[in-house]
Amino acid sequence: MKSEDLARELGRRARGQWELYRKTAESRETEFSRALERTAWRREEGWAARWWQAGAPRFAAASSPQGLLLALEEAGRLPVAESPAPEWPTRVAAAPAETSVEPPPDVFEDLARAVATASRGDATLGALSVRRGRATERIVNAAGLDVAQEHRTLDGVALCIGRRGSRAHEARLPFRWDGAPDLDALARRLADAASLPLSDRPAPFSSGQWLLDPAVGAAVLAAAAPLFLAERPPRWVLRGQAAARLLSVVDDASRDAAFDGEGVATRRTPLVENGQLVGRLHDLETARRAGADPTGHGVRPSFRLPPRAGPRRLFFETETPATPAALLASVTKGLFASALTAPVRVDVGADRYEIEFTGISIVAGRAGGPVAGARSTGRLSELLRRISGVSTDTVFFPSPYPAGSPTLLVERASFE
Amino acid sequence: MNWDETAIHRWLEPLAGRGGEIAEVFGETLTELALEWRDGALGEARVRREEGTSARRRAGGTEQFVFVPGAGDAAVREAVRALRAQTGSEPLPIRSARPADAGAAEAFSDGERWARRLSAILSRHAPRHAFSFRLRETERRVVADGRRTSLAVRRLVSLEGRFTAASRAGDEERPFAFHAPASEGVADELKAQLCAAAAPRDRAVPAPAGETDVILSGGCAAVFFHEVLGHPLEADAEASPLRGLPDARVTVSDLDVSDDPRRLDLFGGYEHDDEGTAPRSVRLVASGLLGSRLTDRAHAPAAGSTGHGRRAGPSDPPLPRGSNVIVAAGSADADEMLRRLGNGLWIEEFAGGSVEIASGSFRLRFPRARRVRRGRLADELSGGVLAGELLPALGAIEPALGREVRACRSFGWCARGGQVVPVGGAAPEVLLRRLMVRPAP
Repeated sequence: MKSEDLARELGRRARGQWELYRKTAESRETEFSRALERTAWRREEGWAARWWQAGAPRFAAASSPQGLLLALEEAGRLPVAESPAPEWPTRVAAAPAETSVEPPPDVFEDLARAVATASRGDATLGALSVRRGRATERIVNAAGLDVAQEHRTLDGVALCIGRRGSRAHEARLPFRWDGAPDLDALARRLADAASLPLSDRPAPFSSGQWLLDPAVGAAVLAAAAPLFLAERPPRWVLRGQAAARLLSVVDDASRDAAFDGEGVATRRTPLVENGQLVGRLHDLETARRAGADPTGHGVRPSFRLPPRAGPRRLFFETETPATPAALLASVTKGLFASALTAPVRVDVGADRYEIEFTGISIVAGRAGGPVAGARSTGRLSELLRRISGVSTDTVFFPSPYPAGSPTLLVERASFE
Repeated sequence: MNWDETAIHRWLEPLAGRGGEIAEVFGETLTELALEWRDGALGEARVRREEGTSARRRAGGTEQFVFVPGAGDAAVREAVRALRAQTGSEPLPIRSARPADAGAAEAFSDGERWARRLSAILSRHAPRHAFSFRLRETERRVVADGRRTSLAVRRLVSLEGRFTAASRAGDEERPFAFHAPASEGVADELKAQLCAAAAPRDRAVPAPAGETDVILSGGCAAVFFHEVLGHPLEADAEASPLRGLPDARVTVSDLDVSDDPRRLDLFGGYEHDDEGTAPRSVRLVASGLLGSRLTDRAHAPAAGSTGHGRRAGPSDPPLPRGSNVIVAAGSADADEMLRRLGNGLWIEEFAGGSVEIASGSFRLRFPRARRVRRGRLADELSGGVLAGELLPALGAIEPALGREVRACRSFGWCARGGQVVPVGGAAPEVLLRRLMVRPAP
């Protein structure tokens, strides 16, 4: 069975209102730990269809065209409520040539040495998994869209264990390299995340300035992303500034892919400019409901799920950046949040956040002692409006889409 | 999955020639129905059909793993051929595959029945809601070197979401989760649990902050023991603080906790694990003494795997994982438990939990609780986090356990290393002293 057969079947079920998606992927992965050296090769294939049968939306996915045909039949029998179909994009783009996937680089020993150096012997690299992959997507729809594109990734997960006396702490960090592996940066993050919690020192101040490492800033931005998807912004945004005037938030995945999971062209989408909320991320469905143009943010986390509006490459920006050293020098009393010790929790509607982190105390622009664990809770609106410094050192982290942040300085925060 | 098992055994034989080596083929067919309801209307229906096959060889400290789509004869040949290429073994002869298995094309029979039944239940008992329902059917087959072929079939039902319930202080939004193996009575059980969750309550006040005593009720103690015993006793948890304490007394002598995959009435049960081993119940704590580890084939001592080698799917290698945590009953009734508690919290449900293995620190999120004052249930409390460290928390368990063991149906999925597997549990009321609690932000 071919794509054309499936397209014909979809046309029969939902004339003019269907979309067919195919993904093929190959990856090579190596995993090293003290006990095991594993190599893995995976070839994956996925098919998905979305269609409006008798005016009602349905979705089916399978690992083969025959499986998809069965799933179409089963999903077509379910009593789904009617809902208007979106306006389908039309575009044609040639399929890229498929190429093979090389094994990922063997960096375990180098990274283990770098972690030991960065942590002064307190932390050891426990396990490292590195994966290099290639995925090809093709999307066709009833309006004549026929596009294909290829993604290449180099990512992984590292596990590091810090030990000092009877105390131990484990840090597990996912990473993604857009270019050559940056082992020193990863080693520093791992060393901080595994060894700083060993100090047993609580936060020495209950309030002060707050310097956020790019990893922490990116996690905060990713947790606050529902703000850019909401049909109606929360009341705290409507009442005034969404963030500090120097801050902008942008989503721009054009360096990753030419179009999104629905075949809409990728473009730079400003979301916050000079502290004001100016944009929203749309897929075809939310654009139809809002009477707006799609922004190219129909995201498919996998072929198993229908596309949903979501960020694709989200990051902070500013027109007046400062160097990280300048931000550090401007801290009179505060904490540097080096790594998270629990996932960031943000409730955009209720305007609340909770961030648990490990880091270093700062007095008069100089590093004090390590802080094993601290927690900051409060209003998200105040956190975003109190950002008084944005640095130049933007780094992207997988969350699972790339979220990027430079070092940020928050003028005032409370700590527990 | 109509495999030529004799041929597969022949292909695997040269890959696991020495004792302790593992060579296996794993295949899965999965069918999943997902329905999304919003305020009585079925807004989205999704059907997923997947087939996948993996082949694995492990010898000493090295492992090769291969995954391909499909679960037919051709997929098995491709997987084994790729595995033999990786290990440098002689390649398989090229031969055309047999026709695809007709059994794999069977239709998903009761999707419409579930859609109609749930529409009626939700409209009647929680008319304002946003719920996701999943009915997942998996068939997993394992052919391994020198072992009998195993087949495991599971049908699991999950309903998760939020609904608006009337409370004495007006409408309020409440979370709800229900996970159970599909069976005749499961819809009735789901209805009963939804009715109980929708019962009127007083206005919730924020949970207190600080050290407090807690009773874990409604079977949710299974979640606590899953985090503080289950994960630290998984055989590959090298940094676990329980690793160096075999047979040590870690808690009260009245406490017996086991991990039992054979309980097929619970969400985490199975007849064979994902390496084809028939599982056995493992005592995690027996009369207060620390018990055995949960093992897969790669981490098994001489006694062999305990049947806890589990995978999220065919594209993942197996890991030693927990399944159903079972806590043995005591003799106290609920009133006696409350009297013993005196002042503290009564928690019936956890919305999630985690443990950091090396330090042994854990946290459990509860969506609501009741304050207990002088042995009586008092205020409704909103959500919070219960936190502590593994060994002190085990040592803080009181020698009083409830007499009724309840299945914890809100407990359903556990993620580790990116692999999500179904888990379950059943427990009586358990009383713990001096845990840290703080309100949700």
